[in-house]
Amino acid sequence: MPQTMPCSTRHAPARLHLPTWTAAALLSLLGVTACKQEVVTHSRVPKSAEAPANPMGGAGGAAPMARPGMGNMPGDAVPPPPKPDARASLKWTLPTGWTQEEGGGMRFATIKAPATGKLEISVVVLPGTAGGELANVNRWRSQLGLPPVDEAGMATFRKQIQTKAGQVSVYDIVGDGTANSRMIAGLLLAADGSTWFIKMVGDAAPVAAAQADFVHLLETIHFD
Amino acid sequence: MTNSKVASFWNVLTSLKLAIVLLAMMMALVVACTLAQVDMGTNGAVNHFMRSFIVWWHPPGFAYSFPVFPGGTTVGLVLGINLITAQFRRLTLSWSKSGLWITHAGLILLVAGEFVSAMFQVDAQMAIEQGETVTYIERPKEVELAVLDTTDAKFDDVYSVPQALLRSGASIPVTGTPFTIKMHGFYQNAEMGNRGDGAPPSIATAGIGPSVAVKEKAAVTSDEATNSPAAFVEPVAGAKSYGTWLVSPILGAPQQFIHEGHTYVLQLRPRREYLDYAMTLKKFSHDVYPGTDIPKNFSSLVHLDNKTTGEQRDALIFMNQPLRYQGKTFYQASFGKNDTLSILQVVQNPGWLLPYISCALVTLGLLIHFAIVLGRSQKKRRKAPEAA
Repeated sequence: MPQTMPCSTRHAPARLHLPTWTAAALLSLLGVTACKQEVVTHSRVPKSAEAPANPMGGAGGAAPMARPGMGNMPGDAVPPPPKPDARASLKWTLPTGWTQEEGGGMRFATIKAPATGKLEISVVVLPGTAGGELANVNRWRSQLGLPPVDEAGMATFRKQIQTKAGQVSVYDIVGDGTANSRMIAGLLLAADGSTWFIKMVGDAAPVAAAQADFVHLLETIHFD
Repeated sequence: MTNSKVASFWNVLTSLKLAIVLLAMMMALVVACTLAQVDMGTNGAVNHFMRSFIVWWHPPGFAYSFPVFPGGTTVGLVLGINLITAQFRRLTLSWSKSGLWITHAGLILLVAGEFVSAMFQVDAQMAIEQGETVTYIERPKEVELAVLDTTDAKFDDVYSVPQALLRSGASIPVTGTPFTIKMHGFYQNAEMGNRGDGAPPSIATAGIGPSVAVKEKAAVTSDEATNSPAAFVEPVAGAKSYGTWLVSPILGAPQQFIHEGHTYVLQLRPRREYLDYAMTLKKFSHDVYPGTDIPKNFSSLVHLDNKTTGEQRDALIFMNQPLRYQGKTFYQASFGKNDTLSILQVVQNPGWLLPYISCALVTLGLLIHFAIVLGRSQKKRRKAPEAA
């Protein structure tokens, strides 16, 4: 009767193909591991699927990972970026129909203008000279795909606006390519040593439409 | 290897003693892993003890780590081989042993299920505010470099470079774009601050990076702590470089450049997976016991909209009542923003049914075996008086 036979006599070890079993198990494991190779992926998603914050980029902005007031979830406890030491707050007068909200991270404020197309206005403050005027101008130019300029080249397209907060250097930069982007940026070196950037960036058409109001806003800036 | 050595090894590999030792080792690992979660966090402890081939110990003050115990992967692998080989060696293929066959198969499936989970389970989360519609989930413990072509008015083309490639430090061709990303550094955890005038020069030459000081920190694994990853990346199209950019989720500054009329945004962000359907949070409820602040129930009423299948329905997700949809399980995990934000834990595990099936098999196998033994015993009893 089979059930009463001693185990050792039922199956001889040589018939069980030990190496085959072990090799099969290890190969399966290696095969499964090999399937997990990481590659660059592509997705085409509607605009609304992307996080609404910071569509235009540039310096500063709210941290998209940070969800303030959260409980104990991993990933939500991203501390805010360091706040620049701005001794005085910059103020300005908003054109009619424009709104603003307090910025997050290094961004001091985000200003919204009624416009059709991409347009964003940001106010960012950084301590010190923040790399200097030429480095920042070339940084903005590189964002629009333009080559860097030297001091003399920068001076040729700089405009100065005298305000109660001090002299503001204004740069109007139009990007190359078929879908033109444009940026108008004001740079103010404050008396306390910090540097303020008031920047409007977006598609060429809405930037042009908002240009006069933006320049007017720059003219009204003052320290509290 | 001689035949006697093969036979000896075979005897050890298929022995019941080995199975007992391996089960004892697994229990020791489970206890150590549970205790270590206090300091290492759930993921850190599980990776250290259970999802490793060897458990390493780093004595304080020493430069090296020492192997101190086989990891859960090794123990599980040997246990799996032991169960399979023992089954074929010790059990005859007969009806009288069917219960044991089924029980063994259940145990093998349990071990295999853990391997499937370790290899394929994906933990993600969906943060969704009341009234908001979300079409993606994110893995908070992983990042990706997203290169977004935002030129189109209605759609964004998102090219995602996973963390594993960023860590490799090589040049990464971004398939579908004209770019290769040159990696100039990847930090799993970093401290960032404003870079003073006298600070050493930054690796970054474009974007906000030149103004930011970056200092690498040791990565953390505990549940309470979060890494702040950062990377220096240089997009290069042909011979044209667009500069080296500092990217980090903590900066919150997706930075852009323009190449041949296309606007590209660079973002280092939690690894994102886009879904074929949209989820809208209609209402989040945080119920408490009357007169107290003691939580009674958390629930999210979501609306599911699948344009592909035309399916549209509401689903209520609450504690221990997840929504299972298209291979993903959405659990109520956390909340915030004065009870207007719901965090759903999203688990995708193709082997989630295996532990249930294995438990059912073990139960069934033991019942069958018990019935067979009982029947045999009663048969012997009936025969005994006849013999007397």
